[in-house]
Order: sequence, then C-alpha cells, then structure tokens
Amino acid sequence: MDYMEGGKLFRRSSNWKMNKGKIFKLAKGFRGRAKNCIRIARERVEKALQYSYRDRHNKKRDMRSLWIERINSGTRLHGVNYGKFMHGLMKENIQLNRKVLSELSMHEPYSFKALVDVSRTSFPGNRPVKKEGLAAIL
Amino acid sequence: MATATLPLRLLPSKTLTLTTLPSARRSLSVAAVEPRRWHLRAAAEESPEAVEVEFVEAEEEPAVPEPVEAQLAAAGAGKDADIFAVVMIGSRQYIVMPGRYIYTQRLKGANVNDQIILNKVLLVSTREKAYIGMPVVTNAAVHAVVEEQGRDDKVIVFKFKKKKKYQRKLGHRQPNTRLRITGISGSEEYPADPILDPAAA
Repeated sequence: MDYMEGGKLFRRSSNWKMNKGKIFKLAKGFRGRAKNCIRIARERVEKALQYSYRDRHNKKRDMRSLWIERINSGTRLHGVNYGKFMHGLMKENIQLNRKVLSELSMHEPYSFKALVDVSRTSFPGNRPVKKEGLAAIL
Repeated sequence: MATATLPLRLLPSKTLTLTTLPSARRSLSVAAVEPRRWHLRAAAEESPEAVEVEFVEAEEEPAVPEPVEAQLAAAGAGKDADIFAVVMIGSRQYIVMPGRYIYTQRLKGANVNDQIILNKVLLVSTREKAYIGMPVVTNAAVHAVVEEQGRDDKVIVFKFKKKKKYQRKLGHRQPNTRLRITGISGSEEYPADPILDPAAA
C-alpha cells in the first residue's frame, strides 16, 4: 500500500507492515465491514479514538448535569428546589460535592433529608412542605 | 475512583430510635472487627478473627474466588455497616464504609500495608444521627490501610486534525492507590448533629 499519504492511522511506520492486527483488535464490535475489512476498519478506528478523546472531556460535563438532575428531583420531594438548596448549603459552608449529594439522595434518604433541613433553615426561601391527604384535613 | 456500586444500606426497618441506640453503638464497635465476608477470596484464606490493623496474608495473588451468591448467603443480613462517611482525598470526595476499598490518586509517601488516617471528613452518618461537617467534622478520622499501589487501565490518547497530516498517539496509565477502610471514629463529640427521626420524616 502507499505510504505517501501520512494522514491514515498506523501508516507512518517505516516497515511495510501496517499493524493490521492492532487495528482489528481495536475494531472489535464494530458494525458490518468495519470490523473485517482493513480499509474501512482503519477509518472507523481512527474516528473511534477521536471520539473517545473528546468524550473523556464530555463525560465530566455530562456526569455533573446528571448529578444536578438527581439532586433536583431529590430535593423537590422535600419541597426545595435545587438552586435554593445549593445556596443554603453554600451559606452553611458545607462542601459536599454534587456527586456525593446525588448518591446520598438516591441511597441515603434520611441523611439527605437532614441536609435539606439544614439548607432550609439556613435559607428559607421555599414553599412550605405541603401536607397531603389526611394530614391536610387535620 | 471506583466506589462501591452496591446500595449503601437498606432502608432501616426499625422505627424505634431510642431503644436501638445502645445496640447500634455496640454493633458499631463489633462491625469493625467482623471478617470481611464479601471479599472475593477462598474462605480458607481468611483469618477467622480478622484483625483490622495487620494483614497477615499476602495480597499478591488471589485464590480461586467463591461464587458471589454463596458468599452473600454466608454473609447474611449483617453485611451493611452501621456507619458511613464522606471523605475528601486528593480533592475528590468518596463515600466510605468500613470494610470496603476505594481507589484514589497515588499517595506518594505511602507504602503497602501502611496505616493511614484521613482527616478531611465532610459527613459522618450512622443509623440514628448525621454529623454534617461545616465544612469538616472536627476530630473525625477515617482509618485506612494501603493495599496496593497500582495503575489504572490504559487509555489511548489520540489527537487528530483532518487534512492537515497531524496525528499523535499516546498511551496513558494513571497511577492509583487502593485503600481498604478499616474504621471511622471520632465523630461523637461533634456539636451539630441533626438527629434523623424516621418517625417525623
């Protein structure tokens, strides 16, 4: 194959072998001919490596927004929304990060409620907890 | 930075808080010396009275692991510890429970089988109380043992600019440290502890 064009993956080596084995190893699980035919696999593997580089940076952003969604839904069960909850925590100088807060809201409901109460006393800007059902009548 | 993916604890089924307080304290001290039944090793290798501080067996080669179901059945309902903490190591926060391990950034001065005390404890929570640190729970300490200084899985760093004949390929393995958490202490004297009251929740 020609090694004049240096833009393709693994063709820059001076020997003639084009490291097909390495490419097919990285191309496992690809769809159709991209896992079997070297010309197509090489391009797809290139693209896959670029995506993985980009997405390693994107993963941090995505996870943070996922944590915020979970904290939001957890606090709204207690009548507090996310913004006011975090503001109350910042006022109290509680430095738990969003990852840990989302884990607590999922698996440790009582600890999370304690945090929500701390935030609510520190920044009471939320509607009071509505009593539903029989408690509303009493 | 893989934390335990199992649920941290089952929702407490006990509704009375005051009467269970002494038993929780007692089981707290007992849980620290209970053998780590969930650990994936053959049962013969585990020392029956698992001392929390010195690790006699060599950690290098794991024996044939028992199936997980058999181990969980053998562990019974006492698998969940009664206390957990949130600790900050290397500007990352981890939820730790005694008996489990965590992967952290490489701690430079630590050798294998070193005892480590972690001071930046942001939250300690038991079955009845939650000690929320502002920002740190004073005098709280998490005791850990360095198990292994290894490296993460390899990631391939591939930079590419199209039509410009620019590409770079690099492999990278980040060094990490595995810590086995042995105990959480020192949180009882902390003043601000909102009491969890399941009856009023």
